[in-house]
Amino acid sequence: MSAPNIDSSTVHGRGIFFDGVTTARHDVVVELAPRTLHVHGVDGSVLAQWSYDELETLSSPEDVLRLGRAGNAVLSRLEIKDPQLAAAIDERSLPVDRTGRIERWLRAKVIFWSIAATASLILVAVVAMPLIATRLTPLIPYAIERRLGAAIDAQTRMSLNEGNRSGVPLDCGSAEKEQAGRVAFEKLIRQMEMAAGLPLPLKATVMRKPEANAITLPGGHIYIYEGLVGAARTPDEFAGVIAHEFGHVAHRDGTRKIVQDAGLALLFGMLLGDFIGGGAVVVAAKTLLRTSYSREVEAAADGYAVVLMTKIGGDQRALATILSRIAGGTHAEPKILVDHPETNDRVVAIEAMASSTPRRPLLTQTEWAALKTICAEQ
Amino acid sequence: MTHFDAAGSAAHASLSAPQSIARFVGRGETFWRLLSCGAVLLMFTLGIYRFWLTTDVRRYLWSNTELVGESFEYTGTAYELLLGFLIALALLLPLYAAFFLLTLAPNNIWSLLGLLILILLGHYAFYRARRYRLTRTIYRGVRFHQTGSAILYSVCAVLWWALIVLSVGLAYPFAQSQLERFKMRHTFFGNLPGRFEGSGWHLLVRGLPLWAFTVVPLAIGTVAAMLAIDWNAINTASRADIPGTRTEASGFANIDVIIALTGAWLLGSIAFLYPVFHAIMLRWWVSGLRFGDVAVRSHLRIARVFGIYARFFGYAILFTAIAGVLLVAGAFGLSKLAGAPSSMRGEIITTVLSLGAYAAMALGYWTIYQATVKLGVWRYVVESLEVSNLAVLEGVAAAGEAASPIGEGLADALNVGGSGI
Repeated sequence: MSAPNIDSSTVHGRGIFFDGVTTARHDVVVELAPRTLHVHGVDGSVLAQWSYDELETLSSPEDVLRLGRAGNAVLSRLEIKDPQLAAAIDERSLPVDRTGRIERWLRAKVIFWSIAATASLILVAVVAMPLIATRLTPLIPYAIERRLGAAIDAQTRMSLNEGNRSGVPLDCGSAEKEQAGRVAFEKLIRQMEMAAGLPLPLKATVMRKPEANAITLPGGHIYIYEGLVGAARTPDEFAGVIAHEFGHVAHRDGTRKIVQDAGLALLFGMLLGDFIGGGAVVVAAKTLLRTSYSREVEAAADGYAVVLMTKIGGDQRALATILSRIAGGTHAEPKILVDHPETNDRVVAIEAMASSTPRRPLLTQTEWAALKTICAEQ
Repeated sequence: MTHFDAAGSAAHASLSAPQSIARFVGRGETFWRLLSCGAVLLMFTLGIYRFWLTTDVRRYLWSNTELVGESFEYTGTAYELLLGFLIALALLLPLYAAFFLLTLAPNNIWSLLGLLILILLGHYAFYRARRYRLTRTIYRGVRFHQTGSAILYSVCAVLWWALIVLSVGLAYPFAQSQLERFKMRHTFFGNLPGRFEGSGWHLLVRGLPLWAFTVVPLAIGTVAAMLAIDWNAINTASRADIPGTRTEASGFANIDVIIALTGAWLLGSIAFLYPVFHAIMLRWWVSGLRFGDVAVRSHLRIARVFGIYARFFGYAILFTAIAGVLLVAGAFGLSKLAGAPSSMRGEIITTVLSLGAYAAMALGYWTIYQATVKLGVWRYVVESLEVSNLAVLEGVAAAGEAASPIGEGLADALNVGGSGI
């Protein structure tokens, strides 16, 4: 700031000057003229004349004011240790920032907008990302979903088969004594597939895994774990769970999950980088967000299951029955971290949707008994 | 003469008085304050603030390092780092998308190729980031700069690392000396060319005991674990009907013991030996640096570096204790406040808070590490320097131009330490 109120007569002081051409050090006299700063050598030669407006404060130790010329390719430097001379220059020059006040103001703006950006990023992740994924997924052709599904199927099988040294195949139903079970299983699936009218061919299989669970991958791959065959007391309970998985296929939930994951990875992983352990936080946040989406997804699949069970003449409430029985055994995990919403809520919702409709047996007694032995080979 | 002259000549006298050749004049509290504010802001901006924090840290370290009475200067800005990151993002995003699609292909060769490309890119980024940092380093009005092909460097680095793996670490000293030669051969201070004279053999001799303490037990442990498995028993047992016999007959129980012993030995020796390794590397590296006729020697002692690490562990333990008490108190308070823990809302709040607590802990350790080890080692390296032929530094001519920050951005996006010092 050119300050007319202070003594505008020329002020002198000592400094050290580097001309930016060589490393030679010049002890200099600094002269503060009204509009420019003059740098003289001890022999009186003029080394530099800088106007106050083009001065720039550079990083330096705390007791030194280091000045350069803004935007100059030649890195000439003037260093002043004398605090009074430094203050006098600061008063005359607008850009000189001896106390760091300008820098602090700029920094405050950076901080404010970074926090604002973070808040809006989180908002997008929580609110907009599920909507985007829902809109985007129908645009993905089924041909791509099937290729994606085939790749994920191969990967998932490999990880499921890890540690299996027994030599018995992962899929149930291939051995001699499992043939009858497979016929019954295929009959059930065929009935359901006819009623459902899915836009892509279904590939359902029972797998030698002890958990009472079933999973659906993109491209119509449904894995039913052996534990579920044991846990189901009636064909309708078994069909109810499969109908729920049919819902995931029809709603393309696997593909949508991939779209969502890619979006979240983009938002958090790439954009924000990994400064220190930030990666772990991002993974945890992703799990949290994904879980909160998955509650609606599961509810929608339950709704689909009720409709499909009605179409094939099965018991609409059977899914609720088996759900509450399986969940009764395992309730220790924190609910936020498991994929399925609170079982009680689901059971209540399914009961509310169910109505009395004509029923017919899905499998005969013999067929159901055979299906129970689909994983007989051990 | 005005009163300014009197003060000026006093300052001048103190400048020309004989001083130790290299010293660090920064105050520790300034650095602690810088880092702890930075850590809080990193947390609330999910890391966006890192460009500013990195720049602040470098400014502090550079400008407080003095050589013959003149301090260094860091002229890089946070905006440049941000720009570099954005450029890297533009380049890497399509690459990542391509890798994602390739990993879906059933052929695993593609994933391996992708990994190799990422490793090459990492070294490439490291070299270009070094160029950026050097050209933003000014001493006496003259900048450093770096020439040489980053692509060639990354190929060399990958080949050397492959050799290190194949030789169970024995090639490490030679890899370091050759890569450092490459870097320093292309490094200049103004028109003064740099070079590196550290010998791989010398480093090998110094580091051999460390190697014997860590790599040899690891190798023995692995071999012992392999031998402990009775492969015939596995083959017979796998046909047996009772699954339990499989593990018992095959000696898997012994393996657990061997693995646990090897792991414990490795953890213990690494905690004690890492400071030693760090000290040996630093002393060897600094003593090999040359710029024209200017030669550097380091008188760094292992015991002092050990002390620096001990200080880190002290602070870390203190921090853990305090944070632990706060966490327990917080959890207790929360359980009173949230009431029904089963409610969805309560769960989300708890999860978000635990995430925050985790991030705060991680950033706390990071801050302590930077303020004790990073700063302590930097200060000690500077103070233990001996520089000869300093007169050469008086007549160096300026050369080189400021380089693009793209390398820093790539290194940051690839997490290869671009945001470090």
